Amino acid sequence: MILLGILIKAFWSGIAAVGFAILFNVPIRTLFPIGALGAIGGLIKFGSMFLGVEIVFASFIGATIIGIISIQMAHMKKSPPLVFSIPGVIPMVPGAFAYRMMLGLIALIDLEDTDIYIQTLIDTVNNGAKMIFVLISLAIGVSMPMLITRKESIKKSVKSGN
Amino acid sequence: MKDSITNAQSVGNTLLEIGALLMSSGASTHRTRITMKRIANSLGYRIELLITQRALMLTIIETDQEYFFSRMKRISPLHPNFKMVSGISHLSWNVKEQNWPVEKINTELQRLKSLPHYPRWILLVMVGAAGAGFCNLFGGDVINMGVAFIATVIGLFTRQEAVRRKFNPYLSVFFAALVASFIAGLSEKFAIGAEPDKAVATSVLFLVPGIPLINSVTDMFDGNIQNGIVRAINGLIIAFAIALGLFTSKMILNF
Repeated sequence: MILLGILIKAFWSGIAAVGFAILFNVPIRTLFPIGALGAIGGLIKFGSMFLGVEIVFASFIGATIIGIISIQMAHMKKSPPLVFSIPGVIPMVPGAFAYRMMLGLIALIDLEDTDIYIQTLIDTVNNGAKMIFVLISLAIGVSMPMLITRKESIKKSVKSGN
Repeated sequence: MKDSITNAQSVGNTLLEIGALLMSSGASTHRTRITMKRIANSLGYRIELLITQRALMLTIIETDQEYFFSRMKRISPLHPNFKMVSGISHLSWNVKEQNWPVEKINTELQRLKSLPHYPRWILLVMVGAAGAGFCNLFGGDVINMGVAFIATVIGLFTRQEAVRRKFNPYLSVFFAALVASFIAGLSEKFAIGAEPDKAVATSVLFLVPGIPLINSVTDMFDGNIQNGIVRAINGLIIAFAIALGLFTSKMILNF
């Protein structure tokens, strides 16, 4: 049952990735790979969270693997890696944390009870910190594989590898 | 002598065009630089570049005769177009491996610029589906997903119309966030679906500045720290515009 839930989430991650891919006007031949990439990322993120990994690290693992696969896909589909990796990680954007942090900030404006104030402050800082660290780990995770594997360009690095 | 000067000029203009297209389509600074260098070197020129977010400066030097030509070019604001990024990447390898002349590069650029975008209804439906998908990821039920879909579609439509009427880009994002969160907020006001707050949170996610934020980190790691900072701040202003839209509809509806 939980497994099915993870699979459904992976499916919707893929749909979200394709939606953003169309927004970014990607070549049509890359649409299906991007959907698959988004689904793989969602599967890894939610799968590792199910296994008890913290959300920040889970997002980092997901983004890193998306970065690695997007380099392979770049060879297969003859498009630069960023065409795949940027729409692929967008489903992992921590929108819910950002929303809760903003709600907390508004609530802090006119709270008077000290206990409630402190509790709200704790929640707000917690949500804000999670949001920022997830965002950073997504960006670093997705650009690291590219920075590590390429010297001048992915095309060249494959030639020298052969 | 006259010929080589004209050649350097026409190659320089083509290179500037390519660089400006890449930057405004969403490529990172490093990619723009290596692509321009690759094309210039294949055509037998040496170039020096200054790439900023909104302007390009190029000096092109003819290697054997030491003529040079400098020009600046304004870059239009970010308008994501990965077909262009992909097409120019192909083009640069064709220049390098098949020795394409400048005329052929210009024709190919014209072709890439005339490539159609996805039809508007496909864009609206698929981005709406992405909004519904986000809602599912955050734990919303089917009704919440429907609300997120409708809110996203109308929000994106608002943004397209605002951009078409040449509003300030951040203001367009604000309008879109306001409309989308207002529609989703109605579902929270009238308690439609299991977790209407999830629908509100996800209705504005189609506006997230994904390209500026990810390119910002890529640029900073590449050592293009100035461009990285500019992109990060651009992303932050967009995020702020989204938050402002959300706040406004929250104040109007008081949910």
